[in-house]
Amino acid sequence: MQFTLMKESKEKRTNYEAAIIGAGPAGLTAAIYLSRARIDTVVFEKLIPGGLIASTDWIENYPGFPDGLSGGELGERMKRHSLRFGAKIEDIEVTGVALDSENISIKTAEGTYSASALIVASGTSPVRLNVSGEENFIGKGISFCAACDAPFFEGEDIVVVGAGSSGIQESLYLSKFARSIKIVEFLSHPTAEQILLDRIKDNDKIELLLFHKVIGFIGEDSLSGVEVESRETGEKKVLDVSGAFIYVGLSPNTGFLDGLLDVDPKEFIKTDPELRTSREGVFAAGDVRTTSLRQVATAVGDGALAAHKVIKYLEKKNEG
Amino acid sequence: MGLLSEEDREYLIQEFNKELIRDVELLHFTDMNDKSEYAVQTKALLGELAGLSDHIKLTIKDCSQKEEIEVEGLDLCPAIKVKSKRKGFMAFYGIPGGYEFSSLVEGIIDMGSDKLSLSDEVVKELSEIDGPIDIKVFVTPACPYCSKAVRTAHLFSLANENIKGSMVEANGFSDLARKHMVSSVPHIVVNGKGSFVGALPERDFLLKVKEVMN
Repeated sequence: MQFTLMKESKEKRTNYEAAIIGAGPAGLTAAIYLSRARIDTVVFEKLIPGGLIASTDWIENYPGFPDGLSGGELGERMKRHSLRFGAKIEDIEVTGVALDSENISIKTAEGTYSASALIVASGTSPVRLNVSGEENFIGKGISFCAACDAPFFEGEDIVVVGAGSSGIQESLYLSKFARSIKIVEFLSHPTAEQILLDRIKDNDKIELLLFHKVIGFIGEDSLSGVEVESRETGEKKVLDVSGAFIYVGLSPNTGFLDGLLDVDPKEFIKTDPELRTSREGVFAAGDVRTTSLRQVATAVGDGALAAHKVIKYLEKKNEG
Repeated sequence: MGLLSEEDREYLIQEFNKELIRDVELLHFTDMNDKSEYAVQTKALLGELAGLSDHIKLTIKDCSQKEEIEVEGLDLCPAIKVKSKRKGFMAFYGIPGGYEFSSLVEGIIDMGSDKLSLSDEVVKELSEIDGPIDIKVFVTPACPYCSKAVRTAHLFSLANENIKGSMVEANGFSDLARKHMVSSVPHIVVNGKGSFVGALPERDFLLKVKEVMN
């Protein structure tokens, strides 16, 4: 049993040179770079450091950790790293952002903060399938967090929806608990990294069901089946399972912006190559912006670049 | 070698030194004959914490002392109750391992100080609740989101003494978890009846508690 200590900064202030929304890899990297440049920086996080990676069982493609490490540990290490150089992390949800000619106002449940520059690094949330029964069975058999909920499915038959890297990685973890796992994939082929696909070949608990779509979740008090349809023949069948873990994509956490920034058709924030958004003084970094790859490594790169651009922006603003 | 790393010990010594202004008792009810890894680790962990500050006192009692358990307002065993002269009810049923260790540390600091990390709006709403509310947050140690829900329940108890906030380690209380159909955590059970799932910001958490009660 490990005992994970999340260290907090206790100081309460409301005025900073730079603010960052989101303490995932992008936000915490930006906090490290800004704090080392002696920019007075606050990071807002509504849940826990690490963002979405905190619920990832194991990360083994982030350089410097050849044996891999849990997403929760990586997030906590990044948080400690940013605190070491003086960033403040506020455990508060941001509910709105407003701009005027001088400052950026960040509204939270515990009052309004102000900053001269802002990095939006609020990340993404798992996409839902939006099919019949899904809403009813979330928390009653449907889960989005294998690390949290795998022990409840010890010896059970379950489904994982999505054969991307997340779906396959989490299936490998779930196979330590479940009796059998069917991975249902909409496409005719899995899209995960080849190394993960090689691993499931050696795992006799895991079976791929390709070119099928989930059309509904069924049960009474809790989930008892997942209805799928073949995209080739149209044949429908029910998979008798007590659990379903959904990994079919990500949607950006941008609701609090209320249309403030230009976004793409999927609501990801548009940026230029220097990570500037459509509003002056506001930058975006990591999974929340329009990009072709969403990984810890790319988020970290974004965080560093966004911080660098904020430093330059503040220098220019202070000169002017 | 202890359960806590040297780095964590140093950090906690500083934090307790800075934050604690009154004594905090860790009242641990356990089965004295239980030699399982979890029981041994829980006792060792609490002993290490008590050794980090003169303000932290550890009392260990047996689960057979049912009257005393009842007097303390607890209803499961093993349990840890974090007590002080400050009003509030913070309990941990089962081992506060993994991410829940942070909830325990926060609980100690909250009971040993006068801080209340809730917005004024939520404190006001909480103060208007006049009936008893028992909030049990089912968790697993590997759940990164659960400690947020546990902390929220504990903070609510500081804001209104009608409220009890408890962590329940679902693997250790699997029958109870099954009874409440827990299959995803954090799973929050209110007054043993209604429930909801998920770590929510404090205001949304309060709205859900009220919704479940109605």
